[in-house]
Amino acid sequence: MRPLTFLPSLLLLAFAPRAHALTQQETDALVKLVDERQHNNGDWAASCYMESREKGKTDVVYDLVYYRRTEGHRFLILFTNPKSEAGKGYLRIEQNLWMYDPPTGKWERRTERERIGGSDTRRGDLDESRLGDEYTARWEADEKLGKFEAYRLLLDVKEGVDVAFPRVRLWIDAATRNVLKRQDMALSGRLMRTSYYPRWKKVHSESKGGEVWYPEEMRFFDEVEKANSTLILVRQVDLRPLRPNMFTKAWLESKSR
Amino acid sequence: MLFIDIGIAARNLLMHTRRNLFLAGAVATVTAILVLLGGFTDGMRSAMLESATALMTGHVNVGGFYKTTSGVGVPLVSDYSKVLAETRRLVPELDYVTARERGYAKLVSERSSMNLVLAGIDVTKEPGLRRNLKVEQGKLEDLAAPGTILLFEDQAKRLEVGVGDVITLSAPTSRGVNNTEDLRVVAVARNLGILSSFTAFLPSQAVRALYRQSPSATGALHLHLKDPSQAGRVAARLRDGLGHAGWRVMDASAEVWWMKLMKRVNAEDWTGQKLDMSTWEDELSFLNWILSAIGAISGALLFVLLVIVVIGILNSLAIAIRERTREIGTLRAIGMQRRKVLWLFLLEAMMLGAVGAGTGSLVGSAVAAGVNGMHVAVPESMQMFLMQQHLTLAIDGGGVLVRALFIVLVTTLAALAPAFSAARLKPITAMHHIG
Repeated sequence: MRPLTFLPSLLLLAFAPRAHALTQQETDALVKLVDERQHNNGDWAASCYMESREKGKTDVVYDLVYYRRTEGHRFLILFTNPKSEAGKGYLRIEQNLWMYDPPTGKWERRTERERIGGSDTRRGDLDESRLGDEYTARWEADEKLGKFEAYRLLLDVKEGVDVAFPRVRLWIDAATRNVLKRQDMALSGRLMRTSYYPRWKKVHSESKGGEVWYPEEMRFFDEVEKANSTLILVRQVDLRPLRPNMFTKAWLESKSR
Repeated sequence: MLFIDIGIAARNLLMHTRRNLFLAGAVATVTAILVLLGGFTDGMRSAMLESATALMTGHVNVGGFYKTTSGVGVPLVSDYSKVLAETRRLVPELDYVTARERGYAKLVSERSSMNLVLAGIDVTKEPGLRRNLKVEQGKLEDLAAPGTILLFEDQAKRLEVGVGDVITLSAPTSRGVNNTEDLRVVAVARNLGILSSFTAFLPSQAVRALYRQSPSATGALHLHLKDPSQAGRVAARLRDGLGHAGWRVMDASAEVWWMKLMKRVNAEDWTGQKLDMSTWEDELSFLNWILSAIGAISGALLFVLLVIVVIGILNSLAIAIRERTREIGTLRAIGMQRRKVLWLFLLEAMMLGAVGAGTGSLVGSAVAAGVNGMHVAVPESMQMFLMQQHLTLAIDGGGVLVRALFIVLVTTLAALAPAFSAARLKPITAMHHIG
């Protein structure tokens, strides 16, 4: 449905050789394209390395696996390392994000602003990109970001949508349509976080019948507490179907027993 | 006869103008200080009532606690529309009523966190709040939108947030599950003393969402009366009336609701709903120490000043009696009774006190009016306790009159001892007195 609606603009964008001022239609199409490239019409499992740096504290390194299912926007994170964090996890059920803490055996409802494992990562960073559904975009400028020609877009959250940051500025590579840089802002315009996506990778998805792109490396820099940052490296992606009962509280609880 | 006595007393006072002027000045000074101190504590009390009834309490509150298990209570009134209907029937003195959600949560910003008492409101139905809050940033009306919050200056400073920033509220629900809600700061209001340091306002819906509460429940009904002095009587009537109507009602206790919850409710062995009636004074009982401390300091100061005045009067009258001993002897010899001598000296002291207290009252009132007119800023460190941004002295005619009469009474009583000694003089001894 998505590619067909925006097909003319997508074609235009696909053959555009370099960055240029975008019309509103082209901007919308570009955002849809960014989503579409990362969309996997099925299940997803990825193992990650996460390194969190916090001012005045020792760096913490985590291993985690995150699972996604396109149907019902299901999402789950399971921490596997270090030992003290193993079994901890996040599960999204409908619009609610729940955190499970194995030592206490308690579930806590968290919001979209939740810092995953206390790092600078949010749930949305690991979930499928839904920028087109969540934000209204407008083209701001064409810019050079290092050696890359990029489109700079400003996205404002749509009415009634719950996101971690209501305003986002994106730099999209004009050549590849991959996101290079992202600035997350509060509604007041205050810059909260800057993210960089230096490496992108693709995998073939049978359920989609095409390629799925994902950022292999993500770097998040806290703009409020300047010394804090988080690095995420996606090590392995598996698109085979997951067990039907995976996205349940019982499944996550069973991982720490 | 009385006019003759007054004339004699006035003549005696005028004969020693300098000494009596000095003494009347001292009385006037003490009266003025008393008037100003009274205005200060009354001003503080009235600011406390005003900010408290705007921020955290009605003149009377119909609150309550609901316990799903005997150990865990939450501050709420279930099915509050029925309680409200019965309350309206029982309180004809009602001016207006607001339903407020109550809560206590941790507020987390990007850089900091703090615990605050939550007041869930419908901003369109809060005339008192609208009158009292001075919004420095943003708009109070925006608090009508869901997922919003109003903070006070100090809170916003501590959390390092401004209008448009988002903060997360975290609190356990009645079932013990920790829940969180993201709220957008839509307004930052000027501090309103100590009460604004621990209260934040948000739409009722946000508190309900945080605690997973039904819309048919509320935290408390805040009753605003036409005459706040009736609060105690109305609370007692509600306690009886709602009890007879079938609700379980808690005993009266002069404690703020969260103290009751922490100290008593969770320790008591009952489940279900209990209603709790409180007055604004009950809800502010934890602040009584401020008024008590100021009262004690004022009292000590006043005592010292009164001692000085009493010594002055004793001394002055002792000198007068010594100077007028022969005159007293002559008056006694031609038939004046001891009681009359006593009366004349007391009348002198009373008149001196009346002139001094009258002048002091006028001066004190004028100074208070001047201070109020100048809008003297209260230092920030003191605002928390005085609950005022600008120093306001509440002067009312009745209060000033009572204080002036008190001073007149003290000066008259101070004259009792010398007047008695004058009355006890024997005419023959007094007439032979050389001095």
